[in-house]
Amino acid sequence: MSLRTDYETLVVERRGPVGWLIFNRPDRRNAMDATMLDELEQAWTELDDDPDVRVIVNTGNGPAFQTGLDVVQLAKNKEALREQSRRTKRAELMFTPWHLDVITPVICAVNGVCAGGGLHFVADADIVIASSSARFTDPHVSVGQVSAFETIALARRAEFEPIMRMALLGRSETITPERAYQLGIVSQVVDPPDGLRDAAQALAETIARNSPTAMAVSKRALWRALEMGLTDACRTGARDLAGVWGHPDQEEGPLAFAERRDPVWKALDRERVGPRYRSTDDEGERA
Amino acid sequence: MSVTYPELEALKLERRGPVGWLINNRPDKLNAMTGAMREEFAVAWKALDADPEVRVIVHTGEGRAFQTGVDVEEIASDGVGMERYRESMENFDIHFTAWHQGVAKPVITAVNGLCAGGAFHWVADADIVIAASDAQFFDPHVSVGQVVSIEAIGLIRKMPFEAVMRMALVGRFERMSAQRAYELGMISQIVDPPEKLRDVAQELAETIARNSPAAMAATKRALWGAQEAGLTDACKAGAKELVSMWGHPDQEEGPRSFAEKREPRWVDPVAPTD
Repeated sequence: MSLRTDYETLVVERRGPVGWLIFNRPDRRNAMDATMLDELEQAWTELDDDPDVRVIVNTGNGPAFQTGLDVVQLAKNKEALREQSRRTKRAELMFTPWHLDVITPVICAVNGVCAGGGLHFVADADIVIASSSARFTDPHVSVGQVSAFETIALARRAEFEPIMRMALLGRSETITPERAYQLGIVSQVVDPPDGLRDAAQALAETIARNSPTAMAVSKRALWRALEMGLTDACRTGARDLAGVWGHPDQEEGPLAFAERRDPVWKALDRERVGPRYRSTDDEGERA
Repeated sequence: MSVTYPELEALKLERRGPVGWLINNRPDKLNAMTGAMREEFAVAWKALDADPEVRVIVHTGEGRAFQTGVDVEEIASDGVGMERYRESMENFDIHFTAWHQGVAKPVITAVNGLCAGGAFHWVADADIVIAASDAQFFDPHVSVGQVVSIEAIGLIRKMPFEAVMRMALVGRFERMSAQRAYELGMISQIVDPPEKLRDVAQELAETIARNSPAAMAATKRALWGAQEAGLTDACKAGAKELVSMWGHPDQEEGPRSFAEKREPRWVDPVAPTD
């Protein structure tokens, strides 16, 4: 399948089994304007629907990774972002893999400054790696804005105190990649920084060797678990587990291992994975 | 009073002082779990929890692995496969960890060597986890076409999400060291050299055994119970556990023995009634 090439604010491409979603407004430190917000929804969906894409990597062009909403556009042309304000109010944002229920594994590769709304992409990725030049900061309260979605999600992924500290100190506080590694916000720091994309591609290709179906169901089970108490999450997870017993990959995996060859996995069948993982409203539908 | 433990094949049960030991005992199979071993776990946890002489339980493995999940040889060879577990799994009616079995006593998992795949059930469901310096953690499920679910769901409540998700998605192609597991808070102590693991676990368990069994049981209920609820609800439920100890003899004995500079004499743990 060939990917669209007419994005204005993003570069979207495939390298082998890896789909790349690259923020491409380097002169604006990759801030999100109305166009980028629309294009992100399209790009995540396009990559997730492409059967040749087994893993998605998200990074930025230029020195910054992502710096949140484009405040210049916000100041000059409020109308352009009215639709986003409406979505924010209803918690119906549609620009991260989690918002869009992306079932393909997502690696966030933080190449530089990740500020404010840029933290959405760290909070909502499955795996996060960073170059040694990455910096994490949340300036919201320093400019009179509330920090909520990104930090709520981050506080579930890592220790609470550093996230609260970052939210309250605003632009005066920066988390280095080394500290982010200690805290388990990222699992790998790439040094020198220009090795980041190669490291991300290599990690993605490694992950692409695993069963797409098993990964999708696992990903769904773990994200859904964030919505529930432990026992309910385990009960739901147990059904997810048993739900794929009998899938051909379950026999192919051990067989290939015994025969010392690479397994040949079935293409991902979304019906088999189940409905959205974001909320539990669809529980009845599944049963 | 001395309790006789049931005769088991795949597990060893022992008591050393106040410490009950549950030892995975299929070293030649890297302690992989057969259907029979799974049933023995259910019995073993109950036996140790019911022994009034046991104050703390340590779980470890014989040989170079702590545990390596389900015995795939059995699954692959007998024509039944995972289907044997379908009903119990669909109903989440499983009984092989201390948490599944409602064990009231503190449980220490002492990871010796390999800890792979389903082994994370006993990391996720223990109260305290320590590991030998040569322990290695990885989750090969998705590399052999299997889903990662319950054990990782437990782990993401106890350590950063990203590390668990990475382990789940990378599968057999990456191993986590004891050092990284320690940094991430998956384990609280690394024992080096590895041969000292059991001595250190015994010592840690004996230290814990000096505390009030009733207070520890209520604390354990409060903290595990909190995993089921939002913060305010968890605190409300925790308040009940707190108040449930008021008037208990240990609540007077503790401060008194402290003032008198002597070891407290706690009320023996009450065997669970279910």
